[in-house]
Amino acid sequence: MRIRQSLLFATTALAMTVAAVQPSVADTSDKRIALSNNYAGNSWRQAMLKSWGKNADQAVSTGVVAAGDAFTTAENQATEQAAQIQNLILQGYDAIVVNAASPTALNGAVKEACDAGIVVVSFDGVVTEPCAWRIAVDFKKMGEIQVDYLSGRLADGGELLEIRGLAGVFVDDEIHSGIEAGVANHDKFNIAGSVHGEWTQTVAQKAVAGILPSMPEIVAVVTQGGDGYGAAQAFAAAGRPTPIIIMGNRHDELTWWQEQKDANGYETMSVSIAPGVSTLAFWVAQQILDGQDVPKELIVPFLQIDQADLEEGLANTEPGGVSNVEYSQDDAKAYLESVK
Amino acid sequence: MKRVQAFMRQHPWSWSFLAAFTTWAVTAAYISGTGGLALASTALSFSTFFVMVGIGQMFVITLGPGNVDLSIPSTITLSAVVSMMVMDGSNTLIVLGVLAAVGVGLLVGLFNYSLIRVLSIPPIIATMSSSFLVQSSAIALGRGVKIKPPLALEWISTAKILGVPILALLVIAFAIGMAVVLNRTIYGRSVTAFGQNTRAAKLAGVPIERIRYLTYTLSAVLAAVCGVFLAGFSGGSSLNMGEEYLLASIAVVVIGGSSIAGGNSNVPGIFGSALFLFLLVAMLNTFGAAAGLRLILTGLIIVGVVTFAGGRKESR
Repeated sequence: MRIRQSLLFATTALAMTVAAVQPSVADTSDKRIALSNNYAGNSWRQAMLKSWGKNADQAVSTGVVAAGDAFTTAENQATEQAAQIQNLILQGYDAIVVNAASPTALNGAVKEACDAGIVVVSFDGVVTEPCAWRIAVDFKKMGEIQVDYLSGRLADGGELLEIRGLAGVFVDDEIHSGIEAGVANHDKFNIAGSVHGEWTQTVAQKAVAGILPSMPEIVAVVTQGGDGYGAAQAFAAAGRPTPIIIMGNRHDELTWWQEQKDANGYETMSVSIAPGVSTLAFWVAQQILDGQDVPKELIVPFLQIDQADLEEGLANTEPGGVSNVEYSQDDAKAYLESVK
Repeated sequence: MKRVQAFMRQHPWSWSFLAAFTTWAVTAAYISGTGGLALASTALSFSTFFVMVGIGQMFVITLGPGNVDLSIPSTITLSAVVSMMVMDGSNTLIVLGVLAAVGVGLLVGLFNYSLIRVLSIPPIIATMSSSFLVQSSAIALGRGVKIKPPLALEWISTAKILGVPILALLVIAFAIGMAVVLNRTIYGRSVTAFGQNTRAAKLAGVPIERIRYLTYTLSAVLAAVCGVFLAGFSGGSSLNMGEEYLLASIAVVVIGGSSIAGGNSNVPGIFGSALFLFLLVAMLNTFGAAAGLRLILTGLIIVGVVTFAGGRKESR
């Protein structure tokens, strides 16, 4: 599996050097880290929480930190999450890792936490409050590389169907702008239609089925993840030939791809964010507590699976989950060293 | 013309069909070739699921102010997860899986009713809190693992005869049955009486608690059955498959011309508005409307339809 950005290369060697030159400034064994999470109702979030839990349990049992508790709000509301963060402040956590329901609505609560001397690290759903750290994803690039890939596959170009995410959400706008930039670079492509699949298989299936009757021949479908399998179902139901559908690393998508590959040599690629980014956020928080100097703005690599990596990618993906890369403390140290 | 107006005034559901047909006609005119027919066939496929849950929600809403079932989305998800696990991709286990799903529906209905009756929690809060429990059970049980539906189930959920989905035919037959239940049976009349004036209904000898229990159970069982077919239709269960049915199940009832205040409902309108909601999104997607514009138009058009359909009260 190819990992974008120089992450796993020479991890051990690099980490050892890092550890040697930068000894721990402060002991974190009595520090408590909390995860404030806004949503748990899909397979990506489930995998993210699972990675966090596994990693935090291990860190606690080896005495690196005193606690690594995860808290998820029930309603995916910014107000609810702000109240949750205030609770975590009162409970005396030393660091709060946040996957935020809104980039701005939590700023007040985040500022309160910073003022109380708490380290706040936001990831995936980042917050704009300057006192917090941000582990963001280059979503725009995630859109762009899809069109780059298609350009290599389809010399003559053609009509594309775009499946977007949830309207009004930052991530959706970013991936969309990346796809637009990609189409601008490769002007043999044209976006014939665009629907909102809300990163949900059933919603994507419905939206694609609704627009297909009006579409010309579609050569490829650009997606945002979680929607590829639904798109495949809609094309099959409409009796249309299956175009190149970009997948989003979900187990159902990879399974479908594997079936197609075995049956007729179907080729595509798959890209998404590894849910294990929660473990990177955990270690970044730990490193900050440890007294290390960590830049406020971090970019996390995404995870791409190509035709040749499919079998391996599928084997490494838990049924019902998303392809994952988890970070150990050493991986995180190596990563922080690489971005310095 | 007068006659048409009079008919539409007396049959509030006709507005939703008019809206659905207009939306379809506008889109079909824009699409070349036989795309219009394909669109109609697709609309029929997807609206059947909304009709299934919509009928259950309609009976609940008919019970009067404050009665609404918010546990429908999570019940769809849990029943899909349970039935796919029981069936395990095998045609011979389909009946068992459907029974398990119905069992899930019966349990959720009983649980909702107990919260409302025993703990005197308002229905909207009771069904909302039970939905958290149900959704959590689905997460804990399924962990998001997608189990493929048995081939026979997939076939019945997706097969079409001359472009007409078999499932839609079954649901039309079921809807006709439910219209008879609503208008011609003691149970249906009792539900309407319950919604018009609970106290009067009680004094008139309507067993209101039994009616309420049956209605919440009906809604949950229909959501559960919908979950099974939806899993068959979309290639397995997923944790967020029910999400869009929360508001949609209420919207199809209201746009269909049933009174949101209860006591005055109809079944055909659910079909018309389910078709309308699907075709509206398809139309705006086809015209390439931006998401913001799409949402604004959807809102405005719904307000328009509800205003027209609801206008009959004053004119009487």
